[in-house]
Amino acid sequence: MPATDMNPDAPRWPEGNRSCVALAFDLDGPTGDAMLDSSIWNNPSYFTLGSYGPWRALGRLLDMLADRKVPATFFVPAWVVENWPKQCAAIVERGHEIGYHGYRHEAFWTLDRDGQRAVMERSAEVFDKYLGIRPVGFRTPSGDWGPDTIRVLMEAGVRYSSSMRGDDRPYLLHAPGIAEPMVEIPGRWEMDDYASLAYHRNPNFPASLDRIASYDTTLDNWQREFDGSHRDGLCLTTLFHPKVSGKPGRIALLESLIDHMHAQGGVWFATCRGVAQWWLDSHASPTPQEARR
Amino acid sequence: MNSLRWPQNARCAVVVTVDFNDEHGILTQEPRIAGREKSLSVWRYGAKRGVDRVLDALEEFDVRSSWFVPGRVAETHAELVKRIDAQKHEIGNSGYRCEDFDTLTLDTQKDAFRAGQAALEQVLGRRAQGFRSFIGNWAPGFADFLRDEGVTWSSSWRGDDLPYFHLPDTDGARTTPPLVELPLHYELEDEPYFAYNLSPAVPVGQPRIPSYREVLANWKHDFAAFHRFGLCFVLRLHPEIIGTAGRIDVLRELLADMRTRDDIWFATGAEMAAWWQQNVDGNEPGHPVEVYARHRQEAQ
Repeated sequence: MPATDMNPDAPRWPEGNRSCVALAFDLDGPTGDAMLDSSIWNNPSYFTLGSYGPWRALGRLLDMLADRKVPATFFVPAWVVENWPKQCAAIVERGHEIGYHGYRHEAFWTLDRDGQRAVMERSAEVFDKYLGIRPVGFRTPSGDWGPDTIRVLMEAGVRYSSSMRGDDRPYLLHAPGIAEPMVEIPGRWEMDDYASLAYHRNPNFPASLDRIASYDTTLDNWQREFDGSHRDGLCLTTLFHPKVSGKPGRIALLESLIDHMHAQGGVWFATCRGVAQWWLDSHASPTPQEARR
Repeated sequence: MNSLRWPQNARCAVVVTVDFNDEHGILTQEPRIAGREKSLSVWRYGAKRGVDRVLDALEEFDVRSSWFVPGRVAETHAELVKRIDAQKHEIGNSGYRCEDFDTLTLDTQKDAFRAGQAALEQVLGRRAQGFRSFIGNWAPGFADFLRDEGVTWSSSWRGDDLPYFHLPDTDGARTTPPLVELPLHYELEDEPYFAYNLSPAVPVGQPRIPSYREVLANWKHDFAAFHRFGLCFVLRLHPEIIGTAGRIDVLRELLADMRTRDDIWFATGAEMAAWWQQNVDGNEPGHPVEVYARHRQEAQ
């Protein structure tokens, strides 16, 4: 990478690091629309496809992260915790973070305020009962939320979200009438493995049944996204899914990507929770411009 | 299970499966293709040329495979099916004409299976031990039916990279061993990568034909990882897709890559099922097939 001066507007990161990487995985398992409409109970082929994530992929991902000594955040629908509690406990035991991701991957923007509250309450009960944790992070399933959502989240004890797409560094969100801001850690479709590697039929994904992309060119894309983020001193998070990029042949892509990041030096690897705390601490008084975003 | 050792002290197992569906798979998948001769000829190419190329490639690398042949194809292409059988490949059941089991009742699913078995028995003089649901699903009770019919293995579901056992899903004691599943992975199938027709559009969104070189590279990455982790690599091919003059070399190069290693156990589905039944006591706790069974019963 050519040596470039840091943009004076670039965010600052702990210990003088140049950029931040917050690896994040959505451990959806078989939850989602087909479970919400119950069609999955006549579709064992699709159920088992989704189950591969918590059942097989997760353990290998945790081994890979341990080998490379990097933390990650797993956004987990609570239904997955109920059904694979031992596998999910390993996430916490091995030093990673768990965040909210619905109970069965509900689309929050389709729920009213009470419906969203019910999902958050049930999820909190499951995380407490099975894992003894109280998450502070949230990634909205399907990536959209409604006008009520930020208040519901704040009331549920959520202090950061990683749901939006519209920036390449964290920013602050404000719920009407609540003084404390919420941190948003936006992701990018370019770093979502669904956009390149996910494939299934009945139901179809992608809807066009476009091809599974080349692993080699996918890795090249991901490395270029990191290179730009690192050059500009930004915060890169990922929307990876164990059932997609934790398949055996794709673990090596993640290994190569993380090794590439390590090789550059000056990368702060953090959980999303760590990023949110850093951002809050260093942006205690939001500017009016930030408050409007 | 990472310490699992396959027969011959192999580190990794490979099961090559081939769906010889002729026109029946695409007629189920895209009914609007009926009567459209040009489009149907894309899929009839398998019987015309592809089967021979695939058989030659498997012979070249000394690989015994498992073919699924719907009953109707056994009737219309009996000589070809006998030739596959004569080259020591296994032949399994895929219904009578690749029926979409999602649209059938348990009883009509059984009828499709029986019609397929009768046709295979007529041509080969014996019944199939393996079964593949074209669409991937079946009604509750069908796995038990397969056991009662002498079927030892299926390759229809997903969710694992090792074989697993289907659960009994009807009451009544059984003396036959449990049905073994050899789970599929879309990335190990040729059809999602290469199937193509202009109109009716296959795939539905008219994506481009991908780079052969990149697909081969993906498969090599996948195989290297299945070997690294000691898993069961289930390849799913179609003679009309992989058996073209240009694409057969993708398969040949993949098989050549596998043959550079001396710790691979190439097995037919029936061989894998027999070994799994003899050497593995049961599914690990929390297996997706068990989670599914529990919730499906609650949902009824």
